[in-house]
Amino acid sequence: MATLARPMALRQALRALPKPSHVAFRPCSTLIQRPLQQHFVKQALQNTTKAVGFHATIQRSILPPEPQTVLGTVNDPAPVPTPSPTHGNYHWSFERLISAGLIPLTIAPFVGGSLNPTLDAVFCATMLVHSHIGFQAILIDYIPIKRMPGVRKFFMWLLNAATVVVGIGLYEFETNDVGVTEAIKKLWHA
Amino acid sequence: MATSRALSRLALRRAAAPTSVFTRTFATVSPSRPVVPESQTSTAKEPSPEKDARIKTFHIYRWNPDEPTSKPKMQSYTLDLNKTGPMMLDALIRIKNELDPTLTFRRSCREGICGSCAMNIDGVNTLACLCRIPTETTQESRVYPLPHMYVVKDLVPDLTNFYKQYRSIKPYLQRDTPPPDGRENRQSKAERRKLDGLYECILCACCSTSCPSYWWNQEEYLGPAVLLQSYRWIADSRDEKTQERQDALNNSMSLYRCHTILNCSRVCPKGLNPGLAIAEIKKSMAFT
Repeated sequence: MATLARPMALRQALRALPKPSHVAFRPCSTLIQRPLQQHFVKQALQNTTKAVGFHATIQRSILPPEPQTVLGTVNDPAPVPTPSPTHGNYHWSFERLISAGLIPLTIAPFVGGSLNPTLDAVFCATMLVHSHIGFQAILIDYIPIKRMPGVRKFFMWLLNAATVVVGIGLYEFETNDVGVTEAIKKLWHA
Repeated sequence: MATSRALSRLALRRAAAPTSVFTRTFATVSPSRPVVPESQTSTAKEPSPEKDARIKTFHIYRWNPDEPTSKPKMQSYTLDLNKTGPMMLDALIRIKNELDPTLTFRRSCREGICGSCAMNIDGVNTLACLCRIPTETTQESRVYPLPHMYVVKDLVPDLTNFYKQYRSIKPYLQRDTPPPDGRENRQSKAERRKLDGLYECILCACCSTSCPSYWWNQEEYLGPAVLLQSYRWIADSRDEKTQERQDALNNSMSLYRCHTILNCSRVCPKGLNPGLAIAEIKKSMAFT
């Protein structure tokens, strides 16, 4: 029943119904056929909603699995990548520092009323880096570099460009306007 | 026969995969190979149902590699729970013995020690031998192989990559210096206690195959089971290659694809906590 509440599920269920035009233009739709049709429609709806309940989202094969490949023989160990701390523990530590730093920076304006321009700039910069790292993680997770290296590269550069653009925008906003916390405050009370 | 099958698969493939010694196509439990629902397949019924039988329906994932072009399907079986043992494995064995001898699954110890019968039962990865059959007869049970693994046949997943990854973490004691008394590598009670909750892992792959991160990046991310075993050797006071072990994990894929989703700790049929072990590895490597 909960699946029915989901608009996605409903849409998929309704798509499976026979098109109304087919029913309307059929010349021999007698009275005897109508209950039969209704029965089939009901049946179709029930069956699809059952299937929809099992699949939470519409089936789309975006990256279908490739045939299985085994590197070397079955008894060889999986290859161990060369250590790169910049993508490993340094990256992780930096990520945690940024996230932990954002907590006091987010609470500060609520406690102190507003932030002074320097702290506001620091808040913007950390937020920008934090979201950049977050989006990077999404790209690494969902765009496998071995399978689609070009697409990965394209999206990484797109992300870099977006971060730079947002950075410039925030710089302009901080230097020529009221600053982020003040703007949110104004919007809040507007 | 085998050659022609391999050739037909080669012909069906769109692009040849590079740098591989051999290639196989298997069905996977994924939208790209839609499963024929049980409403379109036959049902094997309890041979001689009695008056007060408690008939329960089991829908089981079937795929036969001898018919590579046929779709995987859900086959239904009905069993009388009065004549079946309490566990899911008992039901599977009874189906194989009495209803359909072609049903294929791995099993060995039937008491949760070997980890052979890991499968996805009613949406949860678990060992069939440790999973009670829900006694509610109106509720139908569904059994699938471990999710996002290549399927060898029916409920048998291909764990080649999993075992290769396990091998890559060198799961054995590495020491250069001989023990001080020349006899044994001794441990204090406190040092030994660190290994509790780590050495009990039976490598059934329930946790790894429940991890979305492992689903997406199976080739490079090691997965919770292998990382738990890696921590078992990092935490061992007798092991002297801790630094090398940590260096092997120090890249963006092997360890840091863990996003603390914690499906691993939730499904572990042995009640272990791979999520905690991964967090301990990350902690030991942070700010160093």
